[in-house]
Amino acid sequence: MSLLNYIIRRLLFMILVLFGVSILVFGVLMLIPPGMRVAAYVTSEKIPPDQIESMIRAYGLTDPAPVQYFRWLGNVFRGDMGFSATAEAPVLEGFRQYFPVTLELVMYSTPLIILVGIWLGTVGAIKKDKPADHAIRILAIVGYSLPTFWLGLLLMMFFYGYLGIFPPGTLSNQAKDVVFSPEWTRVTGLYTIDAIINWRWDVFVDALYHLTLPAVNLVILDSALIMRLMRSSMLESLGQDYIRTALAKGATSRVVYMTHARRNAMLPVITISGILFAGLLAGMVITETIFARKGIGWWMARAALQLDVPAIMFNVLFLGTVFVAVNLIVDLIYAAIDPRIRLA
Amino acid sequence: MEKLIETRELYTDFNTFEGVVKALNGVSVVVNEGETYGLVGESGCGKSVTVRSMMRIVQAPGRIVDGKVVIFFRAEDRSRGIDILRRSETYMTSLRGDSISMIFQEASTSLNPVLSIGYQVGESFRFHRRTQMLEETIQELEAELSGSLFFLARGWKRTQRGLFRRELSVLKAYEADIDRIDHELYALEDKTDRDSLRRKALLNRRRDRLREKSGLAELAKRFPFLSFYQRRLDRTITRHVVELLRSLGVANPERIVDGYPHELSGGMQQRIVIAIALACHPVLLIADEPTSNLDVTIQAQIIDLIKSLKESIISSVLFITHDLGLVAEVCDRASVMYAGDIAETAEVRELFRNPLHPYAQGLLRSVPKVEQVGELETIPGSVPNLIDPPSGCRFHPRCPHRMEVCPQRKPPLIEHSEGHWVACYLYTDGEQ
Amino acid sequence: MSTEVLQKPTNLPPVTRHPGWREFSFSMKRLLKNPLTIIGLVIILFFVFLAVFAPVLAPPPRPHDPFLMPHDGWQINPSPPSAKNPLGTLPSQYDILYGVIWGTRNAFRIGILVVAANLAVGLVLGSIAGYFGGIIDEVVMRIADIFYAIPILVMAMALVVALGRGLQSVVVVLIILNWPTYTRVIRSEILVVRNMDFILAARASGASHLRILFRHVLPNSIFSAIIVASMNVGVTVLIAAALSFLGLGSDTGYADWGAMVSTCRNFIVGPADNRLAYWYLVFIPGFTIALFVLGWNLLGDAVRDVFDPRMRRK
Repeated sequence: MSLLNYIIRRLLFMILVLFGVSILVFGVLMLIPPGMRVAAYVTSEKIPPDQIESMIRAYGLTDPAPVQYFRWLGNVFRGDMGFSATAEAPVLEGFRQYFPVTLELVMYSTPLIILVGIWLGTVGAIKKDKPADHAIRILAIVGYSLPTFWLGLLLMMFFYGYLGIFPPGTLSNQAKDVVFSPEWTRVTGLYTIDAIINWRWDVFVDALYHLTLPAVNLVILDSALIMRLMRSSMLESLGQDYIRTALAKGATSRVVYMTHARRNAMLPVITISGILFAGLLAGMVITETIFARKGIGWWMARAALQLDVPAIMFNVLFLGTVFVAVNLIVDLIYAAIDPRIRLA
Repeated sequence: MEKLIETRELYTDFNTFEGVVKALNGVSVVVNEGETYGLVGESGCGKSVTVRSMMRIVQAPGRIVDGKVVIFFRAEDRSRGIDILRRSETYMTSLRGDSISMIFQEASTSLNPVLSIGYQVGESFRFHRRTQMLEETIQELEAELSGSLFFLARGWKRTQRGLFRRELSVLKAYEADIDRIDHELYALEDKTDRDSLRRKALLNRRRDRLREKSGLAELAKRFPFLSFYQRRLDRTITRHVVELLRSLGVANPERIVDGYPHELSGGMQQRIVIAIALACHPVLLIADEPTSNLDVTIQAQIIDLIKSLKESIISSVLFITHDLGLVAEVCDRASVMYAGDIAETAEVRELFRNPLHPYAQGLLRSVPKVEQVGELETIPGSVPNLIDPPSGCRFHPRCPHRMEVCPQRKPPLIEHSEGHWVACYLYTDGEQ
Repeated sequence: MSTEVLQKPTNLPPVTRHPGWREFSFSMKRLLKNPLTIIGLVIILFFVFLAVFAPVLAPPPRPHDPFLMPHDGWQINPSPPSAKNPLGTLPSQYDILYGVIWGTRNAFRIGILVVAANLAVGLVLGSIAGYFGGIIDEVVMRIADIFYAIPILVMAMALVVALGRGLQSVVVVLIILNWPTYTRVIRSEILVVRNMDFILAARASGASHLRILFRHVLPNSIFSAIIVASMNVGVTVLIAAALSFLGLGSDTGYADWGAMVSTCRNFIVGPADNRLAYWYLVFIPGFTIALFVLGWNLLGDAVRDVFDPRMRRK
């Protein structure tokens, strides 16, 4: 079965890439002198030099790089991802704690971004060169140019600072009390989903309330990309011969746009959606820092600044895996939708 | 021979970046009932633009700037036709694919790659025979409901029937309104005084704004599981599609309707395109170089198919080609076009025997013949740039019989002998 | 043997200019017709002006270290715009206007250096991979895939910390992490051009690989790279600003737009009676970044619209 073959080949490829990623990142991190790397394990302010020396030797930070790499690799295969100083917990534990926060935001933002992008992109293509189109193009290019942090800060200043609504953080203090109390069963770690499972609608609403501003931020910035892509894809589709046939059949313009043109135009957008999802997961650093959400982005910001090697390695590997896996899924979906594609 | 469709002094321009392309320079063509009419000329002379203007599917930046396109499709229209350039867009969409159909050169790119064949052919029925499709589906449902059924199935079928009935009644009311408006528009057809013009514009606008869809049905279509009710209608349409394909000689139509265009050969794709065009038994079929990209054997098949269909289904065919041999074989009458002008129009045998226009003469001379010896003849020069075309008769720079008057004014198309028209000062004898 | 001389046909239109030049001026004219291009150009020229005339517009208090912003006092709370500080000040009274003007130089430096270096690396690697194909191509592309899978921001942060904070590190890190994009574009273009007939003709006439590469293959492939580069300047500056925002760029007190924005985090909400008190701090440095990036994006868009072969003749 060639489909199975294809998937297996891609998976093997994925493993190869991940190995490459781990080697590359590890190599880079090895460039950092042991004196700096040991800082990840240091818990108090001033440590006498000889103690640092012994710490370095204890953690094997002066061994040749390949040795350290294989040691780390061995640990990984045993399921031991190391200890993260920034999380003050084993890496996996930290991940379990921080990842749902990020996932929640990405989960709600991605469909919104795609829907808004597709909608406005289509409108822009249909009303090409009319005022609506120009407005949409300007919106897209401005949205594309805004720095993430700036828009987030502005939104916070206006809505939270001035109007007092949409505070930063993931939950209000009352909701936090509920979530961290013993009656709460944590199933997924996603506050909205868990709230439904626990049948606490107040927590659900509260979580959504805190998600609003960061989601709006992301939508404004990232839908621009989808908008532009959809618009140009739609225009290209409209220039094809089959549109001419549809018109000659007596199709109304609505049918031409929605049925004939749009279906073809959406194909490239689907590819990008996957990359968008993976990119959002990886790029949450700034958004989480600004909106005080303790997700993996926030964690990574601190880990990078403090050179928390285990945390960095794990997260890079994780995000790399997500990226390659998403690419595979997108390719499969694409092949399922476009009747012309038969996987090699 | 009764007139079926005619264009009168059609002018079409294209507003491109490099300038205004004056593609059609007052084109007048008459196609009669039951005839196969050929439109011949070199690439770029405006044959495609002419037929697209006739169907009003000229794509931007093109615009029809002047002239008339008059149709005489109904028996009542004999005395005065309907100028479709002055009608509303909804009127045109109801004509296209129903009374006038068009097939194109490249069949493979003419079909939408992501939609199934069955769906694409079915669209013709969906747009223009919706009433009939709905009535058949309802009848089927009634027949099924009269038997004994499991109560869930009964309930579902009754829901389907109810929704379809609603769609049908809205559609019928819409059609009645449309008929009334069209009736009045026809009564006002020839009147050009201000009041009439205003009334016509009002009627056209009103026609565009009428709603043919039932709000309830549209809502149902968007509802997650309820929308499945449409499948019943799809099945009816598919049945008709399969019948149609079978009648056109497509093997295994049941399998083909679920397939996609890229799975078919070139000749088969062209048959599908023809099927789409013929689904509603059009009065006029326009074929824009349908065989230019196929090899000769397939070409012959398609031509035969069109000829046989002309006997049975279609009334007239307007055939565009640059292949004179094809014209001789297939067409009854033909026009020769050059650079946006009609040079000569005649019955095919007469045209070949006695070409009057110097361009037509050059064309016919340049076709290699079996008994010919020596060099091939060509027409010196090349096709002019239509942004800045030659003044007067557009052929005059290349014409061996050029006279003083030729660059001054475009020669009118006059009837030289019965049924034989030519636009050349050689034959005007000083008359204007 | 005939002694006829080939007559030049007399009815050809006079050839006025070299076709290459004609295409170029056609492109330039198209470029300038679009109002958005003009706006983009105006914005960039405005920033160029700021960068070039920085010493005049904002005389540095310490000539040997012009990027150090002047501060008039030690108050933590930022001061609103006034005659002394037309755009207000950052916390610890650093003048915003000064920072904006001198920060322009940094922005240009980063944007242009990174993109130019990436373009160069991409040209070389992409050409080699695309032209020679085979195992070289495979290896280069796999390495590119690996780089692609690495999350840029996280890696950039780690790298900058490793190499030492500062704008030079930012530049180096961005060059290192961004090269796959350009390499891929050039490579795919070359793959297309490589199989074209005129290359075969050149080989048949004995041209060496290098010569073919430079004279025939590259000039045709370079347009896509230029399009990507022009659209990439904006993104690069944004990432660099993000890194500065996170504290990995210049130290406090230096003219660095991203760093300037980060100082506002404690001042998002003003005192109860005037909650938008520090609007200038939140708004102005970030706005400068946005404007700069917008200018480059507009220009990049226009370049793409003009040079994209599919959209040229409409």
